[in-house]
Amino acid sequence: MQPFAFHSPTKITFGEDAACGAYEVTRELGGKRTLIVTDANLLNAGVLASVLAAFENGNDSASNQPIIFDEVPPDSDLDCVRSAASLARRAGCDSVLAVGGGSVIDTAKVANICLAYGGDLLDYLGLNNLPTKLFPMVAIPTTAGTGSEVSPVALIRDRDEQRKLLFGSPFLAPDLAILDPKLIVSLPPSLTAATGLDALTHDLESYAALISVSPFSDALCLESMRLIFQFLERATKCADDMEARAATLVASTMAGVAFTNAGVGLIHALAHATGAKYGTHHGMTNAVFLPHGMEFNLESVAGRYGSAARFLGISNELDDDKAARELIKAVRSLVARCGLPTRLKDLGVPAISESELEGLACAASTDAAIIFNPREPSLTEIIGVYKRAY
Amino acid sequence: MAVFSSAEEMWQVMSTLWERIKADPEMSGSLLKSKLIVQFRYRDPEWVLTIDSNDGEDMKIINGSGKNKAVVVMSMKADVAHEFWLGRVNVPLAILTGKIASQGPTPKALALLPVIRQAFPIYAQILEETGKKALVPK
Repeated sequence: MQPFAFHSPTKITFGEDAACGAYEVTRELGGKRTLIVTDANLLNAGVLASVLAAFENGNDSASNQPIIFDEVPPDSDLDCVRSAASLARRAGCDSVLAVGGGSVIDTAKVANICLAYGGDLLDYLGLNNLPTKLFPMVAIPTTAGTGSEVSPVALIRDRDEQRKLLFGSPFLAPDLAILDPKLIVSLPPSLTAATGLDALTHDLESYAALISVSPFSDALCLESMRLIFQFLERATKCADDMEARAATLVASTMAGVAFTNAGVGLIHALAHATGAKYGTHHGMTNAVFLPHGMEFNLESVAGRYGSAARFLGISNELDDDKAARELIKAVRSLVARCGLPTRLKDLGVPAISESELEGLACAASTDAAIIFNPREPSLTEIIGVYKRAY
Repeated sequence: MAVFSSAEEMWQVMSTLWERIKADPEMSGSLLKSKLIVQFRYRDPEWVLTIDSNDGEDMKIINGSGKNKAVVVMSMKADVAHEFWLGRVNVPLAILTGKIASQGPTPKALALLPVIRQAFPIYAQILEETGKKALVPK
């Protein structure tokens, strides 16, 4: 067995109505005035009602009432983060609560950097560049896919440069993740499916990250995949199926802990580059690239894919290559059954010239996610995967 | 106890190492082709080393930050650098676990690892030549 390190700094609580406890735990973590980061759709749809009621019924003085920032767009950017941080700083916030999907949680994480340290947030760009602990942060996901509620990374779009900026540090991981399946029942079918495929991509890329896997990350990936294959279609087709909602939510967080420790790979690198350039939804983009990325990696990780296929009951084949191909086929089938697009052009990505394609491949090849891919791709090979996905 | 007691001592070892890398056509060729400016920021002892291959012709080994802005910055304890040159550090894993901090397009620098690995025996050799044989594992 190869050497490994495994850490999971975020405490996780799960349960229907668990979100009601957000006020209490934020105060237990030492926060006196909390910045609540969310988006307007969630706020208007009443998804935060139980959370806000808990704050209203709390013991805070008038001057310590929470500040709500609800302007997070689907693919958050630097301006949004700076606005949230500025609002929080003016109000003297000392804790952060994120209620939303990956974009909301990532915005809250990076706003917390600005809030805690001041200065220009670009000074903290990259991996492991945060000097000290941030203010306490609690994350309540309202999608089941990004794993951001337990991960130490955040991706923020730089619209001017058309790229995603990566912030990564153990201090970025929220102190607590509250998993409340009631908060994801309003997620529409397409987003339920897309975010579920994002989680499945985390699982499959982490499980195949040969240089960084461990028995701990393997266990999380395999169980998470089992839950997704069993429940994602149900959660997509029946919004109020609480058993399926709960299973996909837990699976997503398990995948988040897994990729926090093992990393992701080429599929995420391509999804980041494509999303930054064309604004495509991260989960849907991952879903499109997933089978193509797996096919590219097959020669390096047939054994890993094969063992996953057998564990999941997808294949009885003892031949790893055959079992691995059945796993890829099962992924394609799940994507189709969940009604997701299977080609980039179906996501609205325009046909691009060879030189633009090379630029996109360059962006993918320098994305930090690619470090953990089991097979090192050349630019030509990245372009090949992109073209096959198009 | 830290492997290197001072920045001067580290510069002595590392500059010799990088001069030999520079003298090797295959290794220096790959670095020059990348046109990267990679900066290593060390702690314990505090020291900055910059390898500037920006012009694609002359690989500059700079004691300090240099004039050009680094493309990739990697920060770590000097002891981690020592372990790296002994071939004992899985760099992606070290990044994942926080031992190495990075800024900029890190994969561009990591793409040079297969070439740089050829310098591992040179590093051990330099330690022996400079009276630090005890630091080389048997």
